[in-house]
Amino acid sequence: MNAKLVKTINYFLLALLAVVVLIPFFWMLTTALKSENEALHTPPLILPGTPHFENFIKALTVAPFLKYFFNTLVVSACVVVASTIVTVLAAYAFARLEFRGKTALFFVVLASMMIPQEMLIITNFMTMAKLGWLNSYQALILPYCVNAFNIFLLRQTIMQIPEDLYTAARIDGLGSFRYLRKVVLPIARPTILTTALLSLIWIWNTYAWPNLVTTNDDLRMVSNGLKNAFTTSTGNIQYELQMAAATLVTIPLIILFVCLRKYIFAGMAKAGIKG
Amino acid sequence: MAGLKKPRVRGEKKYDSTAYLYLLPAFVLLAVFTVYPVVNTVVTSLKLDYRFLTGDFVRFSAQHYADILNDATFRRACVNTAFLAFICVPLSMLISLIAALLLNSVKKLRGFFTTLFYLPQVTNVIAAGMVFAFLFNTNFGLVNMVLGWFGVDPVAWISGVGIAKSAALYNQAYARCLFILMVYSLWSGLSLKVILFLGGLQNINPQYYQAARLDGTSRWNIFRKITFPLLSPTTMYVFITSVITAFKAYSAVVALFGNSYGPIGDQSKMMITIVGYIIDALGDYLSPGAISIASAAAVILLLIIMALTALQLKLSKKWVHYK
Repeated sequence: MNAKLVKTINYFLLALLAVVVLIPFFWMLTTALKSENEALHTPPLILPGTPHFENFIKALTVAPFLKYFFNTLVVSACVVVASTIVTVLAAYAFARLEFRGKTALFFVVLASMMIPQEMLIITNFMTMAKLGWLNSYQALILPYCVNAFNIFLLRQTIMQIPEDLYTAARIDGLGSFRYLRKVVLPIARPTILTTALLSLIWIWNTYAWPNLVTTNDDLRMVSNGLKNAFTTSTGNIQYELQMAAATLVTIPLIILFVCLRKYIFAGMAKAGIKG
Repeated sequence: MAGLKKPRVRGEKKYDSTAYLYLLPAFVLLAVFTVYPVVNTVVTSLKLDYRFLTGDFVRFSAQHYADILNDATFRRACVNTAFLAFICVPLSMLISLIAALLLNSVKKLRGFFTTLFYLPQVTNVIAAGMVFAFLFNTNFGLVNMVLGWFGVDPVAWISGVGIAKSAALYNQAYARCLFILMVYSLWSGLSLKVILFLGGLQNINPQYYQAARLDGTSRWNIFRKITFPLLSPTTMYVFITSVITAFKAYSAVVALFGNSYGPIGDQSKMMITIVGYIIDALGDYLSPGAISIASAAAVILLLIIMALTALQLKLSKKWVHYK
């Protein structure tokens, strides 16, 4: 009976914690569905009288939010494609090929992993300004196209493919690039998907760098748009629209995560948490 | 299989020079956007009154480091960042460890709860920060509504009324903002830590538990004598990576408290962080010396993070024998 009681208490505590984690999501969603008067009601209403789904349309049109979504999609797509290619090529070279300076170059990759992005933005900002690339897609995309951590993660995966397979393929006359395409890519696909997903989440949620290099509304991304829109000229915040926009920004990633969560968790397990 | 080492083919190692082609894109990008910036930031931090447009500077000097360390705003940034790193992180670890222990003790719904606890990690930081600011809204927020059920009068959580004139009011406003920041960081920090702790718990050999149960060891003693020591490498890893993350805090603070890092009426950038200090200085890049100041602050941040990383590498070597 003791074990059963403990189990019940465990589930109860987990449910309690789950409710606490969900409260912000609930408050965001319920506010997004309120009318302006309901959002500004004291004491606050837990649920709207009738759900105002038109808030989502309004949020998309009050600020050029469709534009922000479009920009974010363009930047994420470019970053994911480019960084995946860069990562696969480099990881493969480190995992399978022999060349002079391998140890030194790999050390550069490892060292890059610990440099905070926050330090790099100063010089990268100066570089972009000097190139005249402020307010351009290049400025938003290029610095994200290389990710030392992803190179490291994928190298670990490729190294787990038996070396004999490589030797056999080379003896059969398969070039190293064809081996990469025909053998490594299919086997390493789950990890590649993990790195692509991590890049995507990172880009979608990034704020500081895009905010620094874009001042033009036409080039803003969702995080920046979200931060700056929905405050009227008198300083009043249109909470229901702000929360509707926040919902629209949050939902796509949550859906993506729930569908593909096994790849994200697998990537974290592989990242070398040698408990 | 892994133990069998293939005998090397006689003769010298065969080098494959096409390897450099594979590495070219990555290293061009790393050189331009990582290696050069590190070097350049260190150099720029030592240029006195560096002007961005002309590239002129007075001379090389460590003056800007002295300026920063004497700057009240930078010290405030350090205090706030330290609050996140050394108060919020341990608290968040405690909650995450409890959550992971609970998850590890149940079978049904474990995947469901794990997924749910991970949601804050994939939520846009700006969106989440704005939601928290609204949760703590004086008139329309959920927090005051719940407090109202217990007869508590609405609290003006993010309010700068009177703080310019009265130190006591300033400190009260500051304490309220720190509380909000703490609640936010507990919520957002839960995700990764729970997953990491759960992974660590699942790596512990179940035979220890079976043996302890046969001996009739109490739950608390099992935790104290088996789980906690065997989990210590994970705990250390979680602690140091979380502290490093805390030192990079910025977006959340902006989302919670706005671009002036504080309630309306606050001129002191009450809730600024080290990264916020860097970005503010950088935003002022046309005035002489601003970029040097940003760079000097960034170098200080880099040194802190390097020290923490070195500590982590050292400890992970020391504790590896637990496995």
